Amino acid sequence: MAEELRPNQILLRIPGRLEWLDLVDRTAGGIASQLDFSQEDADGVANSVLEAGTNAIQHGHRYNPDLPVDILFEIYPDRLRVRVHDEGPGFDAEKVLRADPTDPQCLLAQRGRGIFIMRSLMDEVCFEIGEHSGCTAILTKYRRPGSAVEDAG
Amino acid sequence: MKASTHTEGDVVVISLSGQLMGGPDAEAVRQLVRENLDAGRKKLVIDIGDVSWVNSTGLGILIASHVTISNAGGALKLSRVSHRISQIFMVTKLHTVFETHPTVDEAVASFGG
Repeated sequence: MAEELRPNQILLRIPGRLEWLDLVDRTAGGIASQLDFSQEDADGVANSVLEAGTNAIQHGHRYNPDLPVDILFEIYPDRLRVRVHDEGPGFDAEKVLRADPTDPQCLLAQRGRGIFIMRSLMDEVCFEIGEHSGCTAILTKYRRPGSAVEDAG
Repeated sequence: MKASTHTEGDVVVISLSGQLMGGPDAEAVRQLVRENLDAGRKKLVIDIGDVSWVNSTGLGILIASHVTISNAGGALKLSRVSHRISQIFMVTKLHTVFETHPTVDEAVASFGG
């Protein structure tokens, strides 16, 4: 994903196995706390990055452990941006973004909440889906006023 | 994820710990629920106080348990739902699906003996 990391970037590359998601969770939560996000927002960041990582392993790589998932944390003065990249073919974003898992008729569905959770808990969520370059979920959370931490970059 | 069960009267308490994230977890919970229903035990509590996080696939496990137990004429209640997991329940509106209790004892008592 990133050939040369900048000082404001932290890259975590994990094998494509669900059991590595706990490291992703602890890293995301730790970075959010380091940036003085509230506990609520830090939980939201961690929950969202987990969903992106889950999607990458389950849907992007179809549980192929040989395909790594890259999680790139980018720290800016006003926000934390997280890019979760897999080598999969991507998905029909329009269809997924139209779905509302909180619709009473969908409440008992066992799947289909991951992207909705990300969009609910992050300030911005978008996806880069390339024909041959995989799929990247880009999640952004802005720092609230008062969360003053020296920028890493 | 680790799972253990014990009974309190006619209520089965399934205690989960670790992370609830699908894969083998789904089969483990499904089997525990099925075994108890097959044995005629239809009042179940799933205690998730020691679960550090749940992803959307893990939510699917809880929903599947709820549906299976309800369809069998039973009831599922959750206990010790962390603030973090409550956040997920709220945004997905699953707080309207799951009956939750602050402690295992209160969840057990809610069945009314």
